[in-house]
Amino acid sequence: MPRPSRISTLFAGPRQFFFALFLLLAAAPLTAQVDQALYDQGQKIFKGNCASCHKVDKKMTGPALQGARARWEGKGDIYAWIRNSTAYLKTGNAYANQIFAEYNKSVMTPMALTDAEIDAVLYFADNYAPPAPAGGTTPVAAPVGGPQTAPAWPWLLIVALLFAIVWMSLRGVKNQLRSAVSEAEGHGPVANETWWVSLKGWAWRNKAWASVISLLILSYLVVQLWNWAFVIGVYGGDQVQHYKPSQPIAFNHTLHAGKDNLNINCQYCHNSAEKSKHAGIPTANVCMNCHQAVNVGRSEAGTAEIQKIYAATGWDAENNRYTGVEKPIMWNKVHNLPDHVYFSHATHVAVGKIECQKCHGPIDEKMDVAEQWAPLTMGWCIQCHGETEVQMAGNGYYDEVHRRLKENPIGQRELRKYLEDEKITVKELGGWECAKCHY
Amino acid sequence: MPSTKRYWQDLAQLDQAADVIKGREHEFQAPTPLEEVLGDRSFQGASTDRRDFLKFLGFGLGAATLAACETPVVKSIPYVNKPEEIVPGVANWYASTYYDGNDFASILVKTREARPIHIKGNPRHGLNRDPQLDKGSINSRINSSVLSLYDSMRLQGPKKRDGENWTNAGWSEADDAISGQLATIAGQGGRIVLLTPTVISPSIVAAFTAFKAKYATAEHVQYDPISYHGVTTANMRSFGRRAMPGYDLTQADVVVGVDCDFLSSWGNTTEHTWQYARRRRPSDAGMSKHIQFEARMSLTGANADERTAIKPSEVTNIVISLHDHVAKATGGAAVGGTDASCDAATAHAAENLLKARGRSVVLCGSNNADVQVLVNSINMMLGNYGTTIDLDNASNLFQGDDAAVAQLVKDLEAGRVGALLIAGVNPAYTLPETEAFKAGLAKTGLTVSFSGYADETASLCGWILPDHHYLESWNDFNPKPGHYAVAQPTINPLYSTRAWGESLTRWCGQYINWHDHVKGVWRARLEAQGGNADERWYQAVHDGVLVGFVNAPGAVTFAGDVNAAAAAAKASVQGAGEWELQVYTSEAIGDGSHANNPWLQEMPDPITKLTWDNALLMAPADVERLGLNRYIGQEHPASVCKVAVNGVEVELPVLAAPGQKAGTLAVALGYGRGANGEAVGRAACLRDDDGKPMPVGRNAYPFTVRSGGAVSYDVLSVSVTPTGATYPLALTQTHLTDMERHSVVKETTFATWAKHDSQHTYNPPHLLAVHEDVNGDGLINALDKKPVTQIDLWEEHPVEGVGHRWGLSIDLNSCIGCGACVTACNSENNIPVVGKDEVRRSREMHWLRIDRYFNSDMTKARAAEESVGTIAMYTAMERPAENPRVVFMPVMCQHCNHAPCETVCPVAATTHSNEGLNQMSYNRCIGTRYCANNCPYKVRRFNWFNYVTEKFGQVNPAWDEVGRMVLNPDVTVRARGVIEKCSLCVQSIQAGKFAAKKAGRPVKDGDIETACSAACGAGAIIFGDLNDTNSRVRNLSQDERSYHMLEELGVKPNVNYLAKVRNTEAEEAHHA
Repeated sequence: MPRPSRISTLFAGPRQFFFALFLLLAAAPLTAQVDQALYDQGQKIFKGNCASCHKVDKKMTGPALQGARARWEGKGDIYAWIRNSTAYLKTGNAYANQIFAEYNKSVMTPMALTDAEIDAVLYFADNYAPPAPAGGTTPVAAPVGGPQTAPAWPWLLIVALLFAIVWMSLRGVKNQLRSAVSEAEGHGPVANETWWVSLKGWAWRNKAWASVISLLILSYLVVQLWNWAFVIGVYGGDQVQHYKPSQPIAFNHTLHAGKDNLNINCQYCHNSAEKSKHAGIPTANVCMNCHQAVNVGRSEAGTAEIQKIYAATGWDAENNRYTGVEKPIMWNKVHNLPDHVYFSHATHVAVGKIECQKCHGPIDEKMDVAEQWAPLTMGWCIQCHGETEVQMAGNGYYDEVHRRLKENPIGQRELRKYLEDEKITVKELGGWECAKCHY
Repeated sequence: MPSTKRYWQDLAQLDQAADVIKGREHEFQAPTPLEEVLGDRSFQGASTDRRDFLKFLGFGLGAATLAACETPVVKSIPYVNKPEEIVPGVANWYASTYYDGNDFASILVKTREARPIHIKGNPRHGLNRDPQLDKGSINSRINSSVLSLYDSMRLQGPKKRDGENWTNAGWSEADDAISGQLATIAGQGGRIVLLTPTVISPSIVAAFTAFKAKYATAEHVQYDPISYHGVTTANMRSFGRRAMPGYDLTQADVVVGVDCDFLSSWGNTTEHTWQYARRRRPSDAGMSKHIQFEARMSLTGANADERTAIKPSEVTNIVISLHDHVAKATGGAAVGGTDASCDAATAHAAENLLKARGRSVVLCGSNNADVQVLVNSINMMLGNYGTTIDLDNASNLFQGDDAAVAQLVKDLEAGRVGALLIAGVNPAYTLPETEAFKAGLAKTGLTVSFSGYADETASLCGWILPDHHYLESWNDFNPKPGHYAVAQPTINPLYSTRAWGESLTRWCGQYINWHDHVKGVWRARLEAQGGNADERWYQAVHDGVLVGFVNAPGAVTFAGDVNAAAAAAKASVQGAGEWELQVYTSEAIGDGSHANNPWLQEMPDPITKLTWDNALLMAPADVERLGLNRYIGQEHPASVCKVAVNGVEVELPVLAAPGQKAGTLAVALGYGRGANGEAVGRAACLRDDDGKPMPVGRNAYPFTVRSGGAVSYDVLSVSVTPTGATYPLALTQTHLTDMERHSVVKETTFATWAKHDSQHTYNPPHLLAVHEDVNGDGLINALDKKPVTQIDLWEEHPVEGVGHRWGLSIDLNSCIGCGACVTACNSENNIPVVGKDEVRRSREMHWLRIDRYFNSDMTKARAAEESVGTIAMYTAMERPAENPRVVFMPVMCQHCNHAPCETVCPVAATTHSNEGLNQMSYNRCIGTRYCANNCPYKVRRFNWFNYVTEKFGQVNPAWDEVGRMVLNPDVTVRARGVIEKCSLCVQSIQAGKFAAKKAGRPVKDGDIETACSAACGAGAIIFGDLNDTNSRVRNLSQDERSYHMLEELGVKPNVNYLAKVRNTEAEEAHHA
């Protein structure tokens, strides 16, 4: 959603009013016809039992449910078919066998549903109203950090301009006065010095000041140049912190992992994080675990993005099968550590019990597109190592380390040193040593 | 006022001479001589002038700056469908098997993201595994073989000869053409010969059986380039079984080797290694005694307790003499003719053997059947069959039949062979009669090679159908009765290659892939045995080994005719000349099939320390007698000699080899590959100054001769002529002796060791006079001494009891010096290969070296006795004894707790960890090399160049994109200008600690192995946590033999050595 301008907020009130009015009017005819209780009951049963293989309005593993009752009209017992399709196939029903053949002979799990419940599901399917487009409600690109304050620089510019005008007019007045004095004293009018000449004259007279000021300006320019080089990634480091490359698929972390959204555990997709040094970019087959069923996004754009997964995995959504034509997805790597750094996700996740968000920021709350949240500098790493306590409770490895410390005079001395601040940090167990990360 | 004065330049202007003035409109009056300038030949090379150059410079600088000003976008491409067993960043290990006709070993292959990067011995299964140590023994040829997978000169698909040229062919095209031709040849009754090394694969046998069923004229000839024909023939004559016996050296209290390098090149060396090493560790139950007779100082001889240098022609005498001594004591029949020259030595050996009847073994490396019959007789009289020698479960290896091969060459030459299929051998390079073979090949209608390279033989064939590299292929092996091994692929084939066995099955009409064939053969066998065949097959693939029924030892009756054998053996050594030559296979290169492996070319030979060459080994006395260069160094090239025999002339650089018998010469086989420009692999050639390929070393196979039906590797009379030329050699160690520095190498005898008083004999602590009253005599004087270990110059690192303290213990007794640890370290730690020229400048990059020391006749004691001056004494000490004792000492970073390198680094690039490691941060290093200067062990290596550049492309595997795949992704590839050194495989330590922390348990001893300790099947290198009071390394560090190298420096290393003990009766005097 575009950032609301000041002007548009002026009209927000009436607009919301009209929108509500429109919704009310549009919904009125529907509410008149639909038995909401039955519809809700059907929806609940559908989600609980059917949705993994059926869609209401599209074919999936099984046929679309919308219009199923009508299609079965006069061809057989739809209730028996739904409750136990295998058994019903054995009755030799022609239509049942036709469907079975059409859907790759995939067997439907028997469903212990009453007739009333089946009625409810079919009622829900026949009266199915697709949810309103998600565009208005999901935060696809919501601004981060609340209302934006207007930048200060235009005001500064205006003030600077005013100062410049005042200074120039004062200078003009001064020159005229000097000229007048000179003329009055009979020296003729003073030649109008350009500002450059006068500046040079001033600099010549005040060499110390001039050199200090030019040094300051020079330093400022060098620092600016340096920072600019950081921004464009010449050195890496602090300024690449918010590196946020565009990606071949506009994957939305907030939507998938956000607490208020799908709330999928990070390690469901990044499942090597606790086993390997790489957290790993999820392989496309992991996406397909859900997206084989979820083929519609919350917006048109979202649906288009899901199609890209299908293109990568060679999934033919029409016929519910893999074509075998695979095209790997080339993601743009967000977190680039130098080659000589060995960072292990596994150690931090499985042993250190560090939350992903500690380094990756509010990726589940505020990042639609993944960005580098931490500076990933060595200073940042060892700062955390210096503060973080080692998670040693109940870990036999650390029990052994502790035992050795206690049994030896040198160890006891070291242990006392560790415990001066009443906690044992990663640093104290060697977390600041070179070969822990560089080899 | 405007001036009205006019000025004129010259008279012409004043006169307004029109013709002159007109010309002046142009600055340059003559037309620009463009044609002339452009036509000038000297200008043709230069197409830009100065201004253009500046423009380009400016533009280039600007463009480069602009181009650099962009955040580099790194792509990351996950799997579409991730294989279940792969976790990116985590290594998978697969059991497999190595067999190349010479070496056999059960191995584990480490793969990262589905590409093999490292090989170690299988610690749980296999003939090469020591069940007590749980370590698989392999040699450097085996662990380096992973690199040959990524050789960019491998053939990428089938090739078909088209006159002088090669064209690429498709597999189906090849199959159609060849099976058609085979059918025609078989139909006409023409012979179809399959030439292979010894085949121990049941699947290949099954494939050939099917092939023979289809083509009735097919026959199989087994050809071992390094022949054991004499041994197998002797067993045929002695026991009626043509086989190579199985040996069990763990049972042998006394081992006598006669010209037999059984630890490096004779028999199943990977099995011998651990068996031998186990009995070399001194214990109160004793240690084995090893007596060796040989001409060249071999790896085996270097490990012997007693060694006698003999000429190759004397082998017969030694064996006969030994035979008669044993016969005399056991009541056997003497064969007569003991030679007085060797009687004392053989009597001594026989005495030892007779003390250990049934617990001894005599091994002889001769390929002469008559000599081997006598050896069998000796072992029979000693009662060794059934204990140390097993004929009932004889080895299936080395079944090559020299007589059949010789006949085949004759038949080829006579045009009596219709088709020749060659797999796994390179006869055009290795045969004694290569010219006859080549001529015969040209006369043969259909010649097919299954070689992976267009090598010496393949390049002469009509078709080359490249076989997989063994890491890409399924296979099965039956090295001895009841023992089966499975090889599984660890990577998809890189190129369009095919298992050669599959070609056989396809040509007999079975369109079945090789995996299905192998599995089918096994399913049939396992189903016949009952049980769940599938389950057992998968278990076999998982373990790499399937153990079945073993034959019970039966009665062995010796039926050989020793008198005839002795007579024939004596006759065979008639005509020995002034110089006798022996050709041998070196530890690194073997029979030459590994010559294209740069890790192996750069691995120093264990004895000579020579890299990238073979040389003519000569006794130092002979070298001096001929006036040749004895000292070889960067500025001291070797003298070249021409060796001639029977029309074969080879010029070779001469290397003085201590221990070589005077009057004998030795040359390593396996060098000089690709001499005619054949594409035998990337590193098989060096480049000369013009960039032309130059073979590495010289081919010594032409010296081999057929003698008595078998190939002989001894030439009894050659002529040696110095040519006056010189040739540079690259040696990694140019000093020979340890100069009696007991703080480097500590050595004693078993008798001394057995007194268990090491502190006062061979392993005294180094004492330092201190300014305090230590002895309590009330005086502070020179008598007040403290062990140097109790004195610290700096504050000590808190090590004892604080977390881990990683360390190594190296047993100089079990170390046989083979160098498997060196190549394993190369593979694990991405160590660059630098090539001959850099090695010559002492710039080799190995993190781990094996120092080899000879002893000298001169000692300090002797000098004092004989009043030899100091300078004369040290000069004499530099010269090894004529028949020196040898010590191998693996040296890597000692990880000192008071590391001298750490204190001198100006940028703190090398620091100490609280786990006892001396850490090296490459990105902090600025290359001052102060640390290398200050390191007393000289283990720090400097990256003089960026080795991943074209300059080193010929030798360094990391240069091309295929070779790069062998790199270990867990270890940084170092850049130019930084120091590097052994990290104690910190990547494995970190991985092992993580595994323990994740499982919530302490690190178990043996969980973490360094590359060197895992590679050492002899168990000489033990890694572990010195702070773990129950660990092996802790116990070994407290052993009475344990010492630190250069202890007097007080640097307190975390690597300790166990003193060398030799099993000799004599007690030795030691300087306390």
